[in-house]
Amino acid sequence: MSSLAARIALFLLSLPALAGAADLGVNGTTLVSFEQRSTPGFERQRVIPATQFLGIDADHLGNPNLSLHLYGWGRVDLADRSTDEKYTDGDLTYGYLRYLFPTANGEVKAGRFFVFDGVSAEHVDGVSARADLARGFALSMYGGAPVRLDRADDNKGDVIIGGRVSYRIPSLFELGFSALHEKGVTNGQTTDLKDHRQLVGGDLWLRPHKTTEFSGRISYNTATDGVAEQSYLLTVRPSAPLSVAGEYSRYRIKDYFAATNIRSLFNPDTGDNVQYYGGSVTYVIAKPAEVTVSYRHYNRDITGNSDRFGGEGRLTLLDNKCRAGLSYFRTEAPTGINSYHEIRGYLLHTAAKYTASVDTIAHLYDDKIFGKNTAFEVQGSAGYRLRPNLKLSGDLSYGQNPQFNDELKGLVRLTFNYDFIKGAGK
Amino acid sequence: MTFPKLFLPVSIVAGIMTITACSHIFSTESSLPAAHPEAVGEGRVACSECHEDQIKGVLKPYATFNHSQLFVKEHRFYAGSNDKLCASCHATSFCNDCHANELEIKPSIKLGDRPDRELIHRGDYMTRHKIDGKIDPTSCFRCHGRANNEQCIVCHK
Ligand code: HEC
Ligand code: HEC
Ligand code: HEC
Ligand code: HEC
Ligand code: HEC
Repeated sequence: MSSLAARIALFLLSLPALAGAADLGVNGTTLVSFEQRSTPGFERQRVIPATQFLGIDADHLGNPNLSLHLYGWGRVDLADRSTDEKYTDGDLTYGYLRYLFPTANGEVKAGRFFVFDGVSAEHVDGVSARADLARGFALSMYGGAPVRLDRADDNKGDVIIGGRVSYRIPSLFELGFSALHEKGVTNGQTTDLKDHRQLVGGDLWLRPHKTTEFSGRISYNTATDGVAEQSYLLTVRPSAPLSVAGEYSRYRIKDYFAATNIRSLFNPDTGDNVQYYGGSVTYVIAKPAEVTVSYRHYNRDITGNSDRFGGEGRLTLLDNKCRAGLSYFRTEAPTGINSYHEIRGYLLHTAAKYTASVDTIAHLYDDKIFGKNTAFEVQGSAGYRLRPNLKLSGDLSYGQNPQFNDELKGLVRLTFNYDFIKGAGK
Repeated sequence: MTFPKLFLPVSIVAGIMTITACSHIFSTESSLPAAHPEAVGEGRVACSECHEDQIKGVLKPYATFNHSQLFVKEHRFYAGSNDKLCASCHATSFCNDCHANELEIKPSIKLGDRPDRELIHRGDYMTRHKIDGKIDPTSCFRCHGRANNEQCIVCHK
């Protein structure tokens, strides 16, 4: 309740600021979807949720460097509940003021925002700042309260603080150190219960030669004392049309899952580890045609070895107006777990006024699930641009799968994107 | 309630900014533009079609950020250290289409008119997730591990 009041207060506070903006952009998507599911032995269920997404970006708030960015969504169910929650739902995804400095990529944000910085991938109510320093260094920091959406038993903490320092040599090297500390969460059970989450980590980007790039990320969980994640990616482009990549990742579940809020699903106490390695080769046959084949081998202590491999082709024709793709993947799971083939094809055409697309995906399972071993879905979409910045589109999809005898879904979508710029000359 | 808690981080950040400002250790290079100056349409962008050399401020070649299939699949390697660059073309809401927010609408439904996008969980994911989740639950953890899992606890209590 108090958080709802805070959201409304934030919104009201922002209104006068918006009126003063010299450049106001409003964008949104309205979705009204219809779904009819039939599960063997159950009554047919009909759900009709309506969802509104709204984004507001106001630049030049009195000062050319100051801007405000808001984004949120709301939903009302017009028939049966579409989720296991209430008939209405909604959230302020983000809402922050941003000040950009003309030099040093300096930036200060205040409000609700996301942080993607080294070990941090966080949703925060607080402040953040970053700047490039002299001699190749850069520094960023944030602090505040982790955002808790409506989940009551979410175990996010009360305070979070984090940051990253990096050092760069132009087009050759970047090394970053980052850390975060979150207070008021519970960690692993096998380890002594700690009331915080703390990660420290490093990231590396290296370009030893103009054809070769290497990236790596490591995070160490100091609350549980172990390397949670390490991931490496090597990319080689021996010639312009060809690129070859290799990857390796390793996760220690005890440390990686430590701060989860569903321990039954992301259980950190099994002594489990996951690692995978693989590679991909992409060949650009001609500018509009690209083919990628990839392979990945997984090893998870408690389930065994799995493989995923396949290929996909993408075509971009008629000056990007026509896009098509075809793919096949095989997921080969260890004994006891089902394996499957995936086949997908799509075609999309966009013209000045119209867009149209078809998309088909099918899965063939080695072992039957509820008596069936196939699942497929066919989806068609057609759109009409009422005005350059207002588009109406409709999707219809039909599928059969082990869960539902047949599943029919329809959706009407209205997207708009308006820009109001005060004064001339811009 | 949160304001006293905010005081500490705010003062730390402000303190560091002041110290660095006073000791003239900021870079003097001009910043990246707030928004990419040229409109780039839908679909995969290849930076090196329009740019050469290195992005100032980012200090990496433009070609590093060509949106190839590999870049899109492995964008986590780039997003965590170049967020300012990403933000010059992408509003955070673009990322939120896939990086869930209690929304309970699959990206492939919200963007059902964009089959060319690399959207996760296409088709009947309810069946398939039981396999993918067992093979490697670490990827799932990124988006569903600490939040965005209200709909999961119906079955995963
Ligand atoms: C359709 C052509 C086109 C494509 C594709 C394109 N850009 Fe640009 N970009 C421009 C133009 C034009 C400018 C403004 C002139 C300039 O600064 O070069 C610009 C400017 C920039 C700037 C500001 C440069 C400065 O010094 O102020 C950055 C950074 C940038 N682009 C990054 C990218 C990245 C990263 C990509 C790929 C993800 C990309 N661009 C793709 C055309 C393009
Ligand atoms: C020059 C502008 C530009 C920059 C800079 C840029 N992108 Fe993009 N990106 C695009 C465009 C255009 C698309 C295609 C959007 C569409 O098709 O609707 C895209 C698509 C994507 C996609 C989705 C691809 C898909 O198929 O669904 C991801 C993920 C992405 N970008 C990540 C990033 C990250 C991470 C960064 C920063 C390291 C970044 N981008 C920087 C222009 C840019
Ligand atoms: C088309 C869907 C899609 C879009 C759009 C997208 N992402 Fe992602 N992102 C993913 C997926 C899928 C993963 C997990 C990849 C994996 O497990 O290897 C991921 C992973 C990440 C991670 C790693 C998170 C962690 O906990 O380690 C970061 C950081 C990230 N994305 C940032 C971004 C940013 C910033 C944007 C917007 C510019 C963006 N993403 C847009 C699908 C998307
Ligand atoms: C890049 C973020 C991201 C990653 C990584 C991710 N998911 Fe999701 N997932 C979503 C989003 C967004 C939705 C749809 C909105 C929602 O339900 O919150 C979703 C929905 C789901 C659903 C409900 C599907 C339905 O038909 O309603 C399941 C089940 C699921 N995810 C399982 C998984 C599993 C298992 C993994 C790992 C193999 C995974 N997810 C990885 C973002 C992600
Ligand atoms: C309709 C019920 C249902 C819902 C809703 C559901 N799951 Fe599952 N999930 C299952 C079942 C059944 C299994 C297979 C369990 C088994 O065989 O041990 C499973 C398995 C998994 C696994 C593999 C567990 C392991 O380590 O072996 C993951 C990960 C997973 N689900 C993630 C999710 C996520 C994330 C969501 C929500 C976005 C979700 N599930 C929603 C029923 C569900």
